Amino acid sequence: MSRGTTQVPPGVQCFVGDEARRRRAIEERVCSVFEGWDYEEIIPPLYDYADAFGGALSPRTYSFVGRDGALLALRPDFTSLLAKIAAGRLADRRPPIRLYYSGEVLRFEPPRAGRQNELHQMGLERLGGDSRTADAEVVAIAAECLDAAGARDCVLALGHVGVFAGLTGSCGLAGVDVERLRERLGLKDQGGVRELLREAGIGGEPAAGVQRLAVLAGDASVLDEAERALAFCPAALAALAELRAVAGALQAAGLGARLSFDLGEVRGLDYYTGLVFRAYAPGLGFEVGGGGRYDALLARFGRPMPAVGFMLGLDRLAALLERQENGAPPARPVAAEVGGAALGSSLAEARARRGRGLRVRFEGGPA
Amino acid sequence: MSLAVALSKGKLWKGAGLRFRAAGLPFPDAEGRKLVVELGGLRFLFVKDVDVPTYVEHGIADCGIVGSDVLREADADVYEPLDLGFGRCRLAVARPGSTPQEPRHATLRVATKYPRLAAAHFLGRGRPVEVVKLQGSVELACVLGLADCIVDVVETGATLRENGLEVVESVLECSARLIVNRASYHARREEVQSLLKALESAVPQEVLA
Repeated sequence: MSRGTTQVPPGVQCFVGDEARRRRAIEERVCSVFEGWDYEEIIPPLYDYADAFGGALSPRTYSFVGRDGALLALRPDFTSLLAKIAAGRLADRRPPIRLYYSGEVLRFEPPRAGRQNELHQMGLERLGGDSRTADAEVVAIAAECLDAAGARDCVLALGHVGVFAGLTGSCGLAGVDVERLRERLGLKDQGGVRELLREAGIGGEPAAGVQRLAVLAGDASVLDEAERALAFCPAALAALAELRAVAGALQAAGLGARLSFDLGEVRGLDYYTGLVFRAYAPGLGFEVGGGGRYDALLARFGRPMPAVGFMLGLDRLAALLERQENGAPPARPVAAEVGGAALGSSLAEARARRGRGLRVRFEGGPA
Repeated sequence: MSLAVALSKGKLWKGAGLRFRAAGLPFPDAEGRKLVVELGGLRFLFVKDVDVPTYVEHGIADCGIVGSDVLREADADVYEPLDLGFGRCRLAVARPGSTPQEPRHATLRVATKYPRLAAAHFLGRGRPVEVVKLQGSVELACVLGLADCIVDVVETGATLRENGLEVVESVLECSARLIVNRASYHARREEVQSLLKALESAVPQEVLA
């Protein structure tokens, strides 16, 4: 055999003992927060028809042909599966439908340090119901999950894709390459944004406004600043007003110190339709998780309904806790060794202890 | 913990020093051999230029200074808020001046230190291409017949001319960038902003205009 029988393929993960215990503990704490807000667990299938998973993830999806010739795919995320289930199996359920999940997804990532093909995601979706209520609730739950897991100093950076979409859609930016503009803005590349606007011959308020987006990040004062800079664009102002309403509720609920704002967050614009947020922590270079509003997704499955959700990466959270030296795995309880007597009576002794709920390490005995 | 800045002691070193000093920021001298230097509230990490985006993407460094050629090739998921306006050069396609416009064979063979950018450049224009990754002296690949053309950084063009090559297409205009880790940008906002503002003040107006 050319590959050793112990070789593993790149991109997979395997956890043993302490690591597994640490992850399980985090998972239990996070899921108990989901339960605490009365969300219902859903355990969706590991694979589904490939067309259930459209959009940006499709080039990174592991797909295969089923025995009946149908194109199938291993789940690259949970949200589309939950949307599909809400539209199908739960079609009679009245909204809001509150669902959560915890499990692995598979995505092809080009081989590269720090990227795995197997990821464990924990998240929830709130489908239907009043949107402002839902937005405020899910951000509050995300904050509680991070606390419950033991992560310190996390920042939730809130944005709204309607600010950029409003500007480019209806406010004097016609002629600019929106895709490239979005890419440069997503990198906070002020010079690049300026260059694209210059190429398209756009000046004045629209140019100044979209350039401001690259730097409009920070505390709640950026909302005031944005309102002034984007006063010429009603669509952007409407998005800002929505964001302000959610932020106001979160501040009133005592979460103000955890919030930050990032109006230049334009990733996932083809998917998200409103609020977007991401959780960052000092000590971990990558975001811990994030989410947002995706009002267009459910229509794909024939049940148009507004929706919002978020996801935390268990892998990221475990790495963060390890770096913050805050996630010592729960100690492994000490087991009593049972054995030495004849095999049968040793086994009887072990079973008796197990019956009393004790931890045993069975060593056996002569047959 | 102080903010960590990843730098390479390569061709951007001098320009970076000028900007840092003009911004009133500390900057280490090139003499020492230590790879990590604490200085005036900043922590400087000396790494190879191609590794700067990696250290910043992973958050080991909060910020870094790197050329946009290296940054694009690395395809790192980092913010790049500031063009520092030095280290200007051009990534370009060059080939022997004497050869005909099109190579004889259908698949162009390209030697480069930038395989990702080179492949994207030609494939984006519908040209099948075979990319040969080299670590240095890329011009030699054409001279010795390893490749039909090269994709490399051109500053003055002197090296190309000496080897009988000429620039035929531009791939990317490059300059030194300040890059910032995504999480640091938000979770260590005040420190990052004060570094960013200071450096911005040291960049000549015509770069920012």
